[in-house]
Amino acid sequence: MNLIHKFVRTAAMEASGSAGEDAYFIVRFVFRILRVIVLLSVWRAIFAAKPLAMEQSMATILTYTLVAEIFAEQLSPRTGIEWQMFDGGIAMNYLQPMALALQFAARMVGSWMLGLVLASLPLLLLAPLLGVNVLPVNATAAGLFVLSLTLSAVVGVALDFVFAALIVYVQGSAYVIGLMRVAISALLSGAVLPLSVLPYGLGDVFQWLPFASTASAPLRIYTGDGQPIILIIVQIIWAVLLWLLANWLWRTNRERFVSYGG
Amino acid sequence: MHTLTRLLNLWRIHAWLDYLFATRSLRLFALNYISDGVLAVASVSSTLLLTARFDGIGPWQPPQILFMLGYAMTVTGVLASLFGYNILYIGRRLGRGQLDHTLIQPQPIWMALLTEGFNPFEGSISLLTGIAMLGWGLNQLQFSVTLGWLVALLISLLASALIMLAFNVLWGSLAFWAPRGAEEINSPLIEMFAQMKGYPLDGLGPLMLGGLLVGLPIGFVAWLPCRALLGLSTSPIELLATPLAALLFGVLAVLVFRRGLRHYMNVGSRRYFDMGHRR
Repeated sequence: MNLIHKFVRTAAMEASGSAGEDAYFIVRFVFRILRVIVLLSVWRAIFAAKPLAMEQSMATILTYTLVAEIFAEQLSPRTGIEWQMFDGGIAMNYLQPMALALQFAARMVGSWMLGLVLASLPLLLLAPLLGVNVLPVNATAAGLFVLSLTLSAVVGVALDFVFAALIVYVQGSAYVIGLMRVAISALLSGAVLPLSVLPYGLGDVFQWLPFASTASAPLRIYTGDGQPIILIIVQIIWAVLLWLLANWLWRTNRERFVSYGG
Repeated sequence: MHTLTRLLNLWRIHAWLDYLFATRSLRLFALNYISDGVLAVASVSSTLLLTARFDGIGPWQPPQILFMLGYAMTVTGVLASLFGYNILYIGRRLGRGQLDHTLIQPQPIWMALLTEGFNPFEGSISLLTGIAMLGWGLNQLQFSVTLGWLVALLISLLASALIMLAFNVLWGSLAFWAPRGAEEINSPLIEMFAQMKGYPLDGLGPLMLGGLLVGLPIGFVAWLPCRALLGLSTSPIELLATPLAALLFGVLAVLVFRRGLRHYMNVGSRRYFDMGHRR
């Protein structure tokens, strides 16, 4: 069985697995739709009070916000490896005939399917009703967005493995470190707010951090804010550096890893 | 009087248990406590940053936003301190069959649920952060605080917390009928409240706003009561709306929980195998 087939089968198992539970998971997707409607209303309130407060137009910001929610899971890539370590399930992963990182990446891709159908698609269809133009700034931006989104996943999975290795190193709680990662990523990545609107020049600093390569870079390419080539080069650099780091951390921490359960 | 004494005793016992839990490892306690603090601030950071950048949001001035965020954090802090250990995440207890642990105790269920989650050491960081932010906002507002206003603030805070609790019990009670499917139903609810509690909802249309007050009562967690408390609304009804909504949501939650309990009395829990593993 070739690698692509293994990857697709693992992703399909993950997708069908989450859909096979009771239908309450739909609540999560309804909330995503509500959340973006509220965020759009907040932006409209800001622009109504101060129309000239920003370099970007309101239309650009609204597009950024809606596209960020449509691709929320892809822009904040999470493999859930820390939970597998927490409950001992990772032992089963080591028995699978596939590299660990690829397994988790495949599961992550599979877990996106429901969200794409139940949140992303409805949001795309709702966009005209919400008064937001979801089209990319031009055709080139659309193509580069896909490339950038792929790199975003590569960087995101690497970050997950770095954090997972840190959990082993500090013998910390998967719960605590997992939540911290979500909180930090949401702020630093530009997944909720465009980095350019952050006060005190914070965005100028955050844009060079690896988290920005997961959300801000693809979204800036999509909305035509910034130099796409530079943004993609920065993503590639982070992908290489983080995978080197993740690989080194996993090798050096391998003997420390203890898990219980399963 | 006997009930009150019993409640105070139980709270004291659970505070002691929480103290023992917190002090079993100072390192772990510090890690959990600090990360909870970071998470509490992170949950309102978007609104804070937007406020700093744009000098307010719509009709809300920066000190008013600060007050509202402090209010929201205090509400979640009250719930975190009083209803920890999966009381707020009631779906987990019900879905996992852990209600049996409560049913065999020589005390009413309501008393157990009201006291078992008390964790003043592990769960207090967001409460303390919230109170600090509330005070900071109030100080910047140059607001003349009267006794009546303080009472209104206290009632509103408790009402907001009750609404959030009741809403979670309402949905969590689904786990009586669907133990596995609804076991985690409270997680997205609480996540949703955490993410949206800090946004002013003024810009929403009436239909959406109605939905966020009645269907999913996020507006009651901070936005509506703060509008009334800070004088952003001239309607006196808004001040009464949160306590009234708390009453309605509270009654509804009790009715649904009791109905679910009746169902549970007939079917019990089938989540565990004999050797103790969950299905």
